[in-house]
Amino acid sequence: MRKLIEVEINGEPRELAVEPHSTLLDALRYDAGLTGTKKGCDVGECGSCTILVDGKPMNSCLMLAPEAHGRKIVTIEGIQPHADAVHPIQEQFMRCGAAQCGFCTPGFVVAAKALLDANPNPTRDEIRFAIAGNICRCTGYTRIVEAIEQTAEDLRRHPQCHCAPETVR
Amino acid sequence: MTHAVIGHSVKRTDLLDKVTGNAKYVADMPMAGLLHAKMKRCNVAHARIRRIDTSAALALPGVKAILTHENVPRVLHAGSPHPRSASVTCDQYILDDKVRYWGEGVAAVAATSEEIAARAVELIEVEYEPLPALFTVEDAAAPGAPLIHDREPGGNLVLPPVRIERGDADQGFADADFILEGVYEGGRPTPAYMEPNVLTCKWDGNGNLTVWISTQTAFMVRGIMAEVLGLPLHKVRVLVDHMGGGFGAKQDLFQSEFLCALLARETHRPVRMEYTREETFLGGRTRHPARIWLRQGFRNDGTITAREAKVVFNSGAYGSHGPGVTNVGTAAMVSLYRCENVRLEGRCVYTNSPIAGAFRGYGVVQTYYALDIQMDEAAERLGMDPAELKLRNAVREGDIAPSNHPLIGRGLEACIARGMEAVDWKARRAATRQQHGAIRRGWGVGCEMHGSSAYPGIKEQGNAIVKMNEDGTVVLLTGAAGLGTGAHTALAQIVAEELAIPFESVSVVHGDTDVVPWDIGAFASHTTYMVGRAAQMAAGEIKTQLLARAARQMEAEPDALDIADGVISVRDRQGPTMTVREAVMPRKGLPAAQFVGTATYHPTKSYSFAAHFVEVEVDTETGFITVRQVVPVHDIGKVIHPVAAAGQIEGGIQQGIGHTLYEDYQIDMGTGRSLNANFVDYKMPLAMDMPEIHTILLEAAPDPGGPFGAKGVGEDPIVAIGPAIANAVFDAIGVRFRHYPIKPEQVLQALAARRAAEARP
Repeated sequence: MRKLIEVEINGEPRELAVEPHSTLLDALRYDAGLTGTKKGCDVGECGSCTILVDGKPMNSCLMLAPEAHGRKIVTIEGIQPHADAVHPIQEQFMRCGAAQCGFCTPGFVVAAKALLDANPNPTRDEIRFAIAGNICRCTGYTRIVEAIEQTAEDLRRHPQCHCAPETVR
Repeated sequence: MTHAVIGHSVKRTDLLDKVTGNAKYVADMPMAGLLHAKMKRCNVAHARIRRIDTSAALALPGVKAILTHENVPRVLHAGSPHPRSASVTCDQYILDDKVRYWGEGVAAVAATSEEIAARAVELIEVEYEPLPALFTVEDAAAPGAPLIHDREPGGNLVLPPVRIERGDADQGFADADFILEGVYEGGRPTPAYMEPNVLTCKWDGNGNLTVWISTQTAFMVRGIMAEVLGLPLHKVRVLVDHMGGGFGAKQDLFQSEFLCALLARETHRPVRMEYTREETFLGGRTRHPARIWLRQGFRNDGTITAREAKVVFNSGAYGSHGPGVTNVGTAAMVSLYRCENVRLEGRCVYTNSPIAGAFRGYGVVQTYYALDIQMDEAAERLGMDPAELKLRNAVREGDIAPSNHPLIGRGLEACIARGMEAVDWKARRAATRQQHGAIRRGWGVGCEMHGSSAYPGIKEQGNAIVKMNEDGTVVLLTGAAGLGTGAHTALAQIVAEELAIPFESVSVVHGDTDVVPWDIGAFASHTTYMVGRAAQMAAGEIKTQLLARAARQMEAEPDALDIADGVISVRDRQGPTMTVREAVMPRKGLPAAQFVGTATYHPTKSYSFAAHFVEVEVDTETGFITVRQVVPVHDIGKVIHPVAAAGQIEGGIQQGIGHTLYEDYQIDMGTGRSLNANFVDYKMPLAMDMPEIHTILLEAAPDPGGPFGAKGVGEDPIVAIGPAIANAVFDAIGVRFRHYPIKPEQVLQALAARRAAEARP
């Protein structure tokens, strides 16, 4: 028996009919059609499904969908300000080579957003701690740390900046 | 020579979709009427299936079809279907009436939801008749051991022993001042790509099968699916867009491809099978566990007089890449450090354990771990600096490589010398001599070389088609998969460079076997080198056609024309120029040009080189080893995209640190049951475990066979880091480890054993 939940996703109020045992990850991917959030393990080990729940980073595979009722959720699709622009985190991930296969990338971008919202001047150690729950198997993390550090610098200089991508397919 | 497009870190064309969440991976694609499939996996390591009862599962509402060995075609096939290759082992069935490792698939269910499919899998009853299980190569290779496969050459060997001889090893040992001998062992790391294996199959009314799949080798998937399902190639279309990593392992077929296709055919609906993380361990591929006995003769001046090795790889339950890994890993030991008298033997043995397959570094990770560490041991014995000894013995121009081709350039020497200078090696090593207290630091160096492409082991080729549109923009059609390396961007850069047009004017079409030219797949550090060269050649064809047309319009000879940044001019002539667009576009009385360039590149052989300089810290009270910094120095010929190349190196180092210090996929040695098939118990380095990495890219030995002198880079970094760490640990605490992973308890045990030995009178 599906259960109706009301939830704000990426600034938009949504009503979703979810299975009571469904994870929030599955509800986002299959009921809300937001497949940017990835399923790398489904048991809270890899961080690929990281989303913001009321501003806090969460593994959406560890939350039941009904628990999201009345909460504000931001997924990777909500990080991009509008179709012609990307968030500075996204810009720096591209520039620094912080994404390779890209499967873990949405989780990292969201985790970075949570960090920079809470701490606009993180040290490299604080950045590494903030992404310690996210696994990347491609990059060695060096460029991810650099991208987040660079973003913090961008945001300090131009807090409202949404850099347009230079190269679009 | 300066270049306008290559050598610059242009914005990768795949990244915008990846950072915004718009990139569609196979599991992200909606499909009307989709059914979900699950595999039933066995819970026994070696058995015959006596009875399999699916009646309760079939009765479950929502279950649409179930396959077992009783209702699937029985076609013997290779799990790693390289065409025309030595590395093919036909030893698999879609489903067999026998199982050979814990976790092998015995049935598959298609249902209206994943939950129902999973419940149905639980309801399938299987009765097994246990067979004796063999978990070690020693047991499996023992005379009279039960056979896991009834096939040639017998004795549980995957292939006849690989034997390589150069010079006279016996004479070499007789000429030695001293001989070193040791046994080196490698554990069982897994690729652990972030995207679990996934595919969707759909048939149309005309019997055409479409497969959306996360694979490195779309054309091999097409070929073997057509063969096993009895279809001509044009009835099978394989599509790969974005994929979440592979690192070699996603070259194989995993039973699921055939099962998904057959379930889709039976139900007349599209069927998707997505592995759980646990299944990527159970049914995935690992690096081959290995045992290497290595013996070398040295003169007192550091010259190597002879080398002899016996390598044994554990293939697990199926052959997969066993032949390729055994050949490549064993042959690698003729080289790296110069030696004229070499005798090598490589074996690969079936056991009832998880299947070992292709994994970045392909057998060479294991054998160079042994070879490089033993060089460090020789330096210790000689009282020489290990970097100096390695530099003195480094292979150089003209030496005969493992592939039997002469080497080009002096890349390895350049890497060692540059790294010594960059880290101030001698001062660093001198400083580690003066240490006290519980925390000890050490510096080590590890070296490697690796071939670009699998040629000549596989008779590879690179293919490309380039088309120019009537506005002067260009489309590259390539069969090369984009598993996350930025390969398509590099290929587009090469095309733009060759045509002297802006990078933004080139787009890449890939991942559709009905459309793009054949490619063997993205593996073996092949794509930039071989497909890149083919793309350059195909772009060159276009350039010839373009200049001929422009020459007529500019009233000049084609060979008097130059193109730069999309503008064509007549050399040494002032006056009007013409853009590429103007040259190709339709004009009154002149239709638009149709320019198509095609090329096939048959390679020579090229090797990339690296030396990794590593600082570690060993806590002698906890045994914990921390890598503090890595300075990898790589010669990869001409660098096409510096950021992407460095990204390959840093990611390889991360996996190599994992191999050397943490990662080991384990099974219970009594039952074969998987013990750590998850990311908590299978420990990989995370952001807080990773050191700073200062990558240095050299262009010391460009290869004339590669595009603009470029060589491969994908595999090199994972090879050199391991021995560099082990050697640094020796520098820190004076304990020589000859295996990986080196675990804290082993460090403590070794230190305790040394203290006990020192305490004895």
